[in-house]
Amino acid sequence: MSEALAHLEEIVDHEREHECEGIGAKRLCVRPVSVAVLPTRFGDFHIVAFWNNRDGKEHVAILRGDVVGREDVPIRMHSECLTGDALGSLRCDCRDQLEAALRKVGSLEFGAVLYLRQEGRGIGLINKVRAYALQDRGLDTVEANRALGFRDDERDYAIAAHMIFSMGMKSVQVMTNNPDKMKQLQDLGVRVTGRIPHVMPPNAYNRFYLETKAARSGHFIDFSGRAHLPEQAEPVVVEGMPEP
Amino acid sequence: MNTVFPLDPHPGVLVVGAGVAGLACARDLAHKGIPVTLLDRGRGVGGRCATRRIEGQPVDHGVAFLHGSDPAFLDAVRSVPGATILDGWPSRIEGTGTPCQPDAFAPGERRAAYAEGVTAFPKMMAAGLDVRLVTTVLAMHPDGALWRLDLAGGGTARARFVVLALATEETLALVDGLPPGDLELEGARHLLRMVASSVPCLTVIAGYPADAPAPAWDVAFPETSMILKDVVHDSAKRPDPKWTVLVIQAAARWSRQHAGEPVDAWTQGLLAETARLFGEWAAHPTWTQVRHWQFGRTESGNELAGPLVVEGAGGRTLGITGEVFAEGGGVEAAWTSGRLLAVRLAERTKG
Repeated sequence: MSEALAHLEEIVDHEREHECEGIGAKRLCVRPVSVAVLPTRFGDFHIVAFWNNRDGKEHVAILRGDVVGREDVPIRMHSECLTGDALGSLRCDCRDQLEAALRKVGSLEFGAVLYLRQEGRGIGLINKVRAYALQDRGLDTVEANRALGFRDDERDYAIAAHMIFSMGMKSVQVMTNNPDKMKQLQDLGVRVTGRIPHVMPPNAYNRFYLETKAARSGHFIDFSGRAHLPEQAEPVVVEGMPEP
Repeated sequence: MNTVFPLDPHPGVLVVGAGVAGLACARDLAHKGIPVTLLDRGRGVGGRCATRRIEGQPVDHGVAFLHGSDPAFLDAVRSVPGATILDGWPSRIEGTGTPCQPDAFAPGERRAAYAEGVTAFPKMMAAGLDVRLVTTVLAMHPDGALWRLDLAGGGTARARFVVLALATEETLALVDGLPPGDLELEGARHLLRMVASSVPCLTVIAGYPADAPAPAWDVAFPETSMILKDVVHDSAKRPDPKWTVLVIQAAARWSRQHAGEPVDAWTQGLLAETARLFGEWAAHPTWTQVRHWQFGRTESGNELAGPLVVEGAGGRTLGITGEVFAEGGGVEAAWTSGRLLAVRLAERTKG
């Protein structure tokens, strides 16, 4: 057994009874319940599955190397997107962003992707499909999208912060194009030592970012004429684009 | 009926619906110093948080207990002055059918009721607020930079800020009458149609002598019944009850099928099913009362993440809130959505 895995198993064992007051206004608490080796096409990882005190959603951390007790751990927060991550939807950029994160972290000595099961940016798949339906009818309005849950970040950050504490990371560098994410984590007590821009390699599906300027309320319009909602709550950066 | 308003136009916010969502919104606005008036067609505040006194004994015939996980909500529930909180009620659960909110018994959820009845909660929120009861809003119209509300009985009320804190279907009935053309309003209207999912609930309140063989549970969710959604042992919430009281709530489909029948017919139907499940004694109450909740509850999966604020010409602003406008549904969601709307309206009233 690797030292990294042994450290994680120690944590799972030690946290067996963990249920604290919780973090953030919603007082969210998570507990690492199980850990295993996870070889992927993007590299070799460990996966840790978490219980939480709010709902049946099982958040996971995908860890590279030994992060326990480390400083400056590169982390990426990714919000679950069934249509993008699993089904390869072209209505969003989630899969490209997830792959870029896993590939990047997989190439490092240590790092983490925190996979947050907050489908549709907070309130669920049904509402995401509703948002798409409104978009299809040309009713992609600010208010409707807001009501549909774009988005409940506070919850994501609290879960991510608690995961960082649970895994014993001493400080982190956040892979993001949205500096606000660093501040949110800091406000929750996470030591953030830096930001790593999250840049995706260009491919046939995201090349329009390089060719079009941000249009219509900051949304990018893809080749099919559809606006891409920023479902991971940050501006998309494709290699070759100027940094926002 | 009080349709005389001291000021026309109203200088602040008119809130239509004094249920938990409307009250939560109005209370927060009032705390920020914004004048608020609530209009409700009922004779009391609270909407479905409803308590009747029957021969001196309180009976909750809508919401049976409060539950939630948001610490701020739980604090509010526990801080009702003068009310005896029954922390953790219901603790004795029978059956594995579905509660109104599927997450009512999820990890992290806390439950509570009040010995005085569940209206203690909305009454606390209404304290000090300007509430006009028995005031029905029939229609709304844009009127320059204002909204004009037509009231039953011929009165009107005008304000720049109007909040609709009603069942989604009632909100739609008012919003559908507005002139088309505004994209934000069209988006909101379409969204309301997508989430309109209120289901009716026929309810029988049945009183038995105190020495009746009272059930050993607080709430039953009979999974095998096509007729009953739940049966609440209401008198278990009361200290020293004079009557054993069951509140029998019908399943949505059954309610829809039997709502047109004479009250006696569906009352007998619900009592017979209760007796079949829990014993022959339940078929013969000493007295009964009924309530037909037209918009009894919402189907889960239809909740939105937050309220809607639609701004029209001249700063005329419409806020829309209610239990579907926050995650999870139920009283906690109504409370949360009302407060979220207050935050967003307060920003705008300053301008």
